[in-house]
Amino acid sequence: MAIAIAVNGVSMEYKTPKGTTHVLDNVSYEVQDGHFVSIVGPSGVGKTTLLRLLTGLAQPTAGEILVRGKRISSSPDDLAVVLQDYTRSLMPWLSVEKNIALPLKNQKLTKAERKERITASLAEVGLEGAESKYPWQLSGGMQQRVSIARALAVRPSILVMDEPFASVDAQTRFDLEDLVLKVRDDFGITTLMVTHDIDEAVYLSDEIVVLQGKPAKVRDVVKVDIPFPRSQMETRNDARFADLRTHVYGMVRGLE
Amino acid sequence: MSGKPLRIPAGLVSAVVALLIWQIATTWGPLAGTSVPTATSTLAELWNMLFMSETWDSIWQTIQMALYGFLIAVAIAIPVGILIGLSRFAFISTKFTFDFFKVIPPIVIIPITILVFGPTLQMGVFLVVFAIVFALAVQTAYGVRDADPVLIETMRCYGMGRAKQVLFARLPAASPFIAIGIRISVSAAMIVAVVAGLVGGAPGLGHDLLLAQTNGQNTVTFAIVLILGILGLAVSRLVVFLQRRLIFWTAS
Repeated sequence: MAIAIAVNGVSMEYKTPKGTTHVLDNVSYEVQDGHFVSIVGPSGVGKTTLLRLLTGLAQPTAGEILVRGKRISSSPDDLAVVLQDYTRSLMPWLSVEKNIALPLKNQKLTKAERKERITASLAEVGLEGAESKYPWQLSGGMQQRVSIARALAVRPSILVMDEPFASVDAQTRFDLEDLVLKVRDDFGITTLMVTHDIDEAVYLSDEIVVLQGKPAKVRDVVKVDIPFPRSQMETRNDARFADLRTHVYGMVRGLE
Repeated sequence: MSGKPLRIPAGLVSAVVALLIWQIATTWGPLAGTSVPTATSTLAELWNMLFMSETWDSIWQTIQMALYGFLIAVAIAIPVGILIGLSRFAFISTKFTFDFFKVIPPIVIIPITILVFGPTLQMGVFLVVFAIVFALAVQTAYGVRDADPVLIETMRCYGMGRAKQVLFARLPAASPFIAIGIRISVSAAMIVAVVAGLVGGAPGLGHDLLLAQTNGQNTVTFAIVLILGILGLAVSRLVVFLQRRLIFWTAS
């Protein structure tokens, strides 16, 4: 299988008036094409910093990030993002349809094609007919579905998610997790997710990258050898699921 | 919403009460026999004036000064405010100068404007621009800077450049700030347009006010004041109405 993303010896330092903060130290890992990879670690370990580097919002002080063998210097074209704070990443002054249409302006699409993409993406996330609604007229879970639809509409090869389900209630979270699995199944998108929820990471991922320490290093890359399709009822009761979550939890907490 | 049907009658009641107090004070009260005219004679004068084309000319001249000045100020302040707001350096370095000009009352530069423009419509327009352009630019710059960094980063992730960020994120995010600036500016524009006539001799209601005052036409003076009040009220109502329509997302 081809490698979609390669993180090679990435280090990140911030210069502050009080001195230099060393956030990431020689972080390396590879993401296979079509895989779902979660990045976990204790609070403040530098997960979000890593995410900013992966999306091209910031440049590492050392090392490089390659997307399909090409070093990234700004946000790659075929990348989509879903962020935790949907109220801040959707535009309240645009309808759902226009929110989704905005990133599509960078692609050369006819009006009909654009319309078709929007309809299909909304159908994929179970929000048929919500085109003319405004984000603030929808519940939190529905807004996050709009964010996911916006991401899908650009037909990305890479999807990056930052704590995507942290701001919705538990029931909605399970629904959205299964939605993300379905999306991965339907489109084979390589997905990277930062999360603090270890159960969620085990449930969704092919591999889990555990960051640990100050500055953060890759503590381990855990292969989640639970077969797909997964289900909330069965997978979470699986003995292997329990083993893996205990293992990852131990590492995140620095107990292993 | 339950208070809505009451609003207009309540406003009317207070207006009627105010007129009654005025009438009583000038008929039997402490203002009886002074140069302050009664409410009824003022209203009668106002009624007469509504049939004179000169009144409407004056109203139009005042509105013109306020409106042109306002439009020119908006055309300058919003682009300038956006540019300033986009750069931290520009924002910090211009803040001092703009805040300085913001607090200069336009009345102090009237002597200079009379020298340059004479007592003309242009002078009034210039004063209006001067009175509001700095505050509006600062307000716009604040709004542009207030755009949510999460939103801007989302746009960057999707490969949207500066121009799109301004058009689809920074400008809409700034619009509640700009709206506040515009609400204040519109009132200021009306006031300054009158002052330009009253102090600087520019045409319009301000100038009429000055003439009526110096000629001792007290009922005319007060009738003009009433016109100004009604005009100001109408303009600010219009702005609030437009604001609610255009910036609908902040309501809920």
